[in-house]
Amino acid sequence: MAAIGAMFSSCEKSPTITAPANGTVKMQFTYVWGKNETPLTLEQKVVQEKTGDTLIFTNIRYYVSNIKLKRADGVWWSMPDSYFLLDAQSAEASTITIPDVPFMNYTAVQYTMGVDSLHNVSGAQTGALSLQNGMFWDWNSGYIMMKAEGRSPNSPTGSFALHMGGFSGPYNVVTVNTAEFGKTMQIGNGANPTITMVTNPSKLWDNAPSVSVNSVIHMPGAYAVAMAKSFYGGIYLSAISK
Amino acid sequence: MTAMPPADAPERPASFPAAYYRHSPNTYSNAGFELGRKLFHDPLLSVNNTVSCASCHKQEFAFSDGGVSFSKGINGQTGKRNAPAIFNMAWNTSFMWDGGVNNLEVMPLAPLTNPAEMGETIKHIVYKLNRAPEYPALFKNVFHRDSIDDQQMFWALAQYMSNLVSAHSKYDRVMAGEEKFTQEEQDGYALFKTNCASCHKEPLFTDYSFQNNGIDATFADSGRYRVTQNAVDIGKFKVPALRNVAVTYPYMHDGRFATLNEVLKHYTSGVIPSSTLSDKLIKNGKPGLALTNEEQSKVIAFLHTLTDSTLINNSNYKQ
Repeated sequence: MAAIGAMFSSCEKSPTITAPANGTVKMQFTYVWGKNETPLTLEQKVVQEKTGDTLIFTNIRYYVSNIKLKRADGVWWSMPDSYFLLDAQSAEASTITIPDVPFMNYTAVQYTMGVDSLHNVSGAQTGALSLQNGMFWDWNSGYIMMKAEGRSPNSPTGSFALHMGGFSGPYNVVTVNTAEFGKTMQIGNGANPTITMVTNPSKLWDNAPSVSVNSVIHMPGAYAVAMAKSFYGGIYLSAISK
Repeated sequence: MTAMPPADAPERPASFPAAYYRHSPNTYSNAGFELGRKLFHDPLLSVNNTVSCASCHKQEFAFSDGGVSFSKGINGQTGKRNAPAIFNMAWNTSFMWDGGVNNLEVMPLAPLTNPAEMGETIKHIVYKLNRAPEYPALFKNVFHRDSIDDQQMFWALAQYMSNLVSAHSKYDRVMAGEEKFTQEEQDGYALFKTNCASCHKEPLFTDYSFQNNGIDATFADSGRYRVTQNAVDIGKFKVPALRNVAVTYPYMHDGRFATLNEVLKHYTSGVIPSSTLSDKLIKNGKPGLALTNEEQSKVIAFLHTLTDSTLINNSNYKQ
């Protein structure tokens, strides 16, 4: 109604219109495998090119947090309290919804892979950070920032369970990523874009050995850092849809 | 010293330093303390409704498992470490024998979910609490939320443990000028200050550090190293608070010593050298403290003045 009113009164000097609505951005994480980036789903048999391991993922869950959008004027807008536990089992569970973004042009998104150190020492939390999600070590406090579990004939036990975490010192895996849009993107006033991110779990092994050597990670350490950092560093923005 | 705490505030003795745990955002209330007390004593928190927190943390033993080296969890299973006493938790900078847990609120996560202890999932505890006839109204009264979530459960348990304060022993009365040590206790106190207090620091009787106190040369349980993966921490365990030590037997992380006599004997003639042994336990180039049998008895007499009958008998701590 306000827009129509503005059109009809366009010859007036200062038309009365309501402020443009805030927008909603979606950030969808997708999964590909290997150098050819073939689509990856859970329960699919894949071969890791570097190690030669045959792998079937049964569970990939990971935290993405502290979402920020860079305005065209260079100022960052932060989504308050933004902690998400994503799950590769479905597109829906792999999508972050960022509501109430002020109407503006934006040029980049910043996101943290993992959970910041403060929330690892702050006691019992709710939502994505709830202790009932099974993503917090009970004996060595801190979030499991990423779980990659599955089966592999190359593992001595027939399975692998890689739980990557650590928020301080040399074993800190938390990584802040920034993805530039390469253009300005309007959010709000009817524009509610979806940003598609590409993750490639084969990169977990870029700097780590075969599951025949390392099939279990259950605490912070050098392997957790090597695997998480390679995976986090390989995430990129592939598309922005309106 | 015996004044009641003000309404809706946990007890914080004037003689203690500032508490490490802050009730923010977990605002303390008497109703929250009482809810935590009910949860602490409720076997509903275990997978087969047979074991509560209080099963292994008994008030008469200062919330330890008196006389038991390894407590029994569900189906009679046992763990590998001695159940620690629970008091003055709000001053602890870390939890468990190896300090692996960093916040009072998340401390119960391990015993609740360990298959040999209470064996439950947090999700299922929340489910059971929401279905129990009495809990929804009690939680709503404290936290004002529509339903019970796990944060509220951990917060209520933290409110209870935060207010289990031990500051009413004979030692405290002597320090306040209200009572006097016997000569033997006085001598023991002097010996304690010279030989023990650098780690068992007054007034909480621990400095919260991790030390290898020479009970082994090789370590089946690597202690603090398990958490830090740093070789300098092999065989180190948290220095336990010595308040109520006379009722928290057996002693050490694995409950190997049944009596205080055995503990004092260890520190004088049983300290085993190893690369991470505390340098505080080396006197005149030799491992062990130089205490005669008579001096050991005096130290033990002093240690008995740390027993806090107020903590052990406080009806407000009982369900």
